[in-house]
Amino acid sequence: MGLSNMNIIEIDKLSHRFSNGFLGLDSIDLSVKKGEFVVIAGRNGSGKTTLLRHLNALLLPTSGTVRIGGVSVQDDPARARRIVGMVFQDSDSQIVCETVREDVAFGPENLCLERDEIEKRISEALNVTGLSGLADAGPHILSGGEKRRLAIAGVLAMMPEVLVFDEPFSNLDYPGTRDVLRQITGLHGAGRTIIVSTHDLEKIISHAGRLLIMEEGKIARDGIPEKIISGVETFGVREPYFSRMGLERASWPG
Amino acid sequence: MAGLTAFSYRKGFSIVHSLDARFKLLFLVIIGASGLKASPAGLLLLFGLVLSGLIHAGIRLRDLFKELRFFFCFLLFVVAIRAFSADGTGLIEVYGISLSAGGLKEGLLVCLRLLLIALSGLLFVATTRMLEIKAAIEWILKPFPFVSGSRISTMTGLMMRFIPVILEQAKETSDAQKARCIENRRNPLYRMIKFAIPLLGRTFDNAGRIAIAMEARCYSDIRTGYKLSSKKNDWMVLFIVISVCTAIVAYL
Repeated sequence: MGLSNMNIIEIDKLSHRFSNGFLGLDSIDLSVKKGEFVVIAGRNGSGKTTLLRHLNALLLPTSGTVRIGGVSVQDDPARARRIVGMVFQDSDSQIVCETVREDVAFGPENLCLERDEIEKRISEALNVTGLSGLADAGPHILSGGEKRRLAIAGVLAMMPEVLVFDEPFSNLDYPGTRDVLRQITGLHGAGRTIIVSTHDLEKIISHAGRLLIMEEGKIARDGIPEKIISGVETFGVREPYFSRMGLERASWPG
Repeated sequence: MAGLTAFSYRKGFSIVHSLDARFKLLFLVIIGASGLKASPAGLLLLFGLVLSGLIHAGIRLRDLFKELRFFFCFLLFVVAIRAFSADGTGLIEVYGISLSAGGLKEGLLVCLRLLLIALSGLLFVATTRMLEIKAAIEWILKPFPFVSGSRISTMTGLMMRFIPVILEQAKETSDAQKARCIENRRNPLYRMIKFAIPLLGRTFDNAGRIAIAMEARCYSDIRTGYKLSSKKNDWMVLFIVISVCTAIVAYL
């Protein structure tokens, strides 16, 4: 099997029941290949975030297994977190330091890297996300789009192979959305595996190679976007304009 | 957008900025302790020292005093309490309560000491990056067993980071309640409860989200820290501060 065809994520019969008895995930089977661009859509409470949080052991399975690069996340959660970087919906909660530079350094410092290596990674991550000019700025002066890019830079500095974005466009204006979308597509172009959860397909679907629809903790549809997009409204997800009008898939930023 | 508080770092290239954070913490202790022992003339000299540090660090005194206006109100309150409550020769009498000269002098002295500590603290925070403060705290707590210096320094950093966010949320909560005419309610306890419950709820929710985000980025107590290093300048300034403070306490 070639390297590009390797499954970086393998999920078998994954179920998760919360402490209040609610079944968040119900026997999910899923595999994601290296370099894939996957969009997970579904209405609020369908299990998207719960599924994503199993990928880096923030939640552990009630039953079933999640393997990242062939190793169970339960056996080595720290390894899973190094391989799968997660950008959360609320950037304000993800930015934990006083300046942009310090926040990007937070992850590499947790990995106990040497200071020279940390500095190298900071400047690379800031360059990729276009935040070099704001390195010494405080997070409170950043715009919504810049904060989201800082959250991405913080994760990139840990050099993950997989990047998971949970509702990356929420609370962003049009320029902010375009900024973040450019980052995501650029990272995919650079060979990273991308997983994006959203309930708004319009902005992202033209870049994705695979679409998963979640409903009540299960994967209800899984396939290439063109094949399954026309039925998404049944699952509480708005069908993109181009699909309703029978047009070609068009990139949202233009 | 949350604004800067008076106690936040201001970038600069002064000598005070370049000093080791551990030394700066030590200066804070020495100046504070000398202020407690110093006479009024000695206190004024210490003020001169701290104010020249603030000016040298590029902090505009006008902006500084503007930001500290509420602190000055507090100091005025302290002077008034001391002046009207202490025994001694009465200067004037207001509604049967006499203002004593000794009390006024004592009150002014207490205020000057408090102000000296506040200004020294501000000089420290305004010229020291948070990661240096965290590293200094970790270094100081290293000899103490059963105390996680790393955890305490991280908590200090998080507190400084999230004070503006919490203040912003408090303002949002207050505005949302004003928009629904909370001011028509006369009972202050009712208003306080209606303000505190959503604010605390949001703050705890945020704390949960922050903890998850930190976990996702592999946070643990064992991590690469910021390396502090003392230089010749630090020792020279330490010598000057100790000499000046000793002279002030001994001779003034």
